[in-house]
Amino acid sequence: MPPLFLPLYPLSISPCPLLSVDFFVMNQSTLYTPEELLAVTIAREVHDFETIGVGAVSPIPAAGCILAKHMNAPHITLIILDSDEYYPFPAGSSELHFMAQRGELDLFFLSGIQIDRRGNFNLHVIGNYNSPTVRMAGAYGSAMLYYMAHRVILFRDQHTKRVFVEKVDFVTGAGVTPENVYREGGPALVITPKAVLAWDKTAGEWRLDKFQPGSSVEDVKDNTGFALPVSPSVYMNSEPTAEELRILRTVVKEKMARSYPTFAREKMLKT
Amino acid sequence: MGIPFLGVRGLLHSDILKYRPDLLVQDNPFNPGEPVVVAQAIRPDVAVFHATKADRRGNAITPGHRDDLMMARAARRVIVTAEEIVERHLTRRDADDDTFLPAIDVDVVAHVPLGAHPCGFGALYEQDKDHWREYLEAAKSEATFCAYLERYVYEVRSHAEYLEQIDASATVGKNRIKDKG
Repeated sequence: MPPLFLPLYPLSISPCPLLSVDFFVMNQSTLYTPEELLAVTIAREVHDFETIGVGAVSPIPAAGCILAKHMNAPHITLIILDSDEYYPFPAGSSELHFMAQRGELDLFFLSGIQIDRRGNFNLHVIGNYNSPTVRMAGAYGSAMLYYMAHRVILFRDQHTKRVFVEKVDFVTGAGVTPENVYREGGPALVITPKAVLAWDKTAGEWRLDKFQPGSSVEDVKDNTGFALPVSPSVYMNSEPTAEELRILRTVVKEKMARSYPTFAREKMLKT
Repeated sequence: MGIPFLGVRGLLHSDILKYRPDLLVQDNPFNPGEPVVVAQAIRPDVAVFHATKADRRGNAITPGHRDDLMMARAARRVIVTAEEIVERHLTRRDADDDTFLPAIDVDVVAHVPLGAHPCGFGALYEQDKDHWREYLEAAKSEATFCAYLERYVYEVRSHAEYLEQIDASATVGKNRIKDKG
C-alpha cells in the first residue's frame, strides 16, 4: 500500500517561506504524519524514571510514551489504561486515580477543546453551560489529575485561535490556584503540531519555548488567541530523526496495533 | 463503602463545582484554612454487570481489570447477567486475570447469552457493526427510532425472542472473535 498523502509541513504551513528557508531544508526520506510529529515531540519531553499515566482513547501520548521507553526513557513506569502490557494494577481505572491522590503520579496527558492563557482547560462546553453550542462528555478525573499529577502535558492535534483562547468558556481544570489549595503539580507543557509551550509558574501563563519544523514564531503567535510571550532562547524543535521514526513505525506501531489498531494502521506510516 | 462522603484532592476552582450539588467545598478540619472538596457518596438503586460466567450461588467473573466490585458495593441491588451459568462453585482462582464478583455482593443472576449485543464482549464476540449501522440510521428520526424500539425492545417478550430478532446464529458466526492460536 503506498504511503498516505501527507502535508509536507514546511511547504504547506509557513507564512514566510523566504525568511524561514534555513529551517526548511527537507530530508526527503523523513516524511512523517502530524500524529507522528506529536508522538516524537511527546517522547522527547518524557523524563526517565517518571511514573506516567495515559488515559483510554489516547493513542498519541501512548505512542509517544512507548517510543520514549524504547529511546530516551527506558526506566519509566508506564500505565496505559485498557492495555494489557502496560497495566500493573489488579482493579480498574480507579487505581490510577487513587495513585494520583497519593501523590505518586509524575506525568499525565490531557487534551481540551479550549486552553487559555492562564492554563485553564475546557472539556465541558462551548458557550453557556445551560444552553451550550457544543456539549462534550465533560471530565471529572481530569479535574483531579490536573492538580495531583506532578506534571501535566496538554496536547492538541491542531493549533488555532479557537483552541487557544484568552479565557475558556468553562474551567474544567484551573492552571493557577491560590496558595492554600493543595496541589502536587499542574500544567507543564502544551504540545501541538506548531509549537511546544512551556508553563511559566512564576508568571502563571504559557511561554513559547520551541516551534515545530514547518512553523515559526510568527506562525505560532498568529494562531494563538492570546498574547504569547516568547522565550529569549526560543528555537525550532528538530525534525523527527530517522531512528525515532524507525522505532515508532516498527516496535511502537506493533504494540499500538493491539490497543489502537485503526490509529496504527492509518496515522503511522510504513518504514 | 457505605460512608456518607469522602474528601477529595483537586477540583478546587473548577467550574464543575458550580453545577454539582454533590460536591461541596469545606474547610479541612485537620488543617484549618485549607479548602477541601467533599464528594457525596453515589448510591445507585441497581447495578447490572454482564459476566462471562456465574455460578448458582452468585459468584461471577467479568472480563478484564475492572472496578466492578466497588460499583457493586455502592449499589443497593446487584444483578448479574451471564453468558454462561456453571454448576461448579466459582472462586477467585477461576478469575485468572479477570475480575471476580463474590456471591455475597450479588443479589440476582440471569442467564443471558449474547447479552452484550450489539456491543462486543471480552474475548467472546466483537461488536455487531451491521446492527450499529441499523441503530444509528434509526436514531435519525423519532418515527424510525420508535420503530426500532418496537422491534427490538417492546415487542420482544423474552431474551430468546430478541436473539431471534437479531438472527443470533448468524450474528454469532459473523462476530465471533477468531482464535489467536
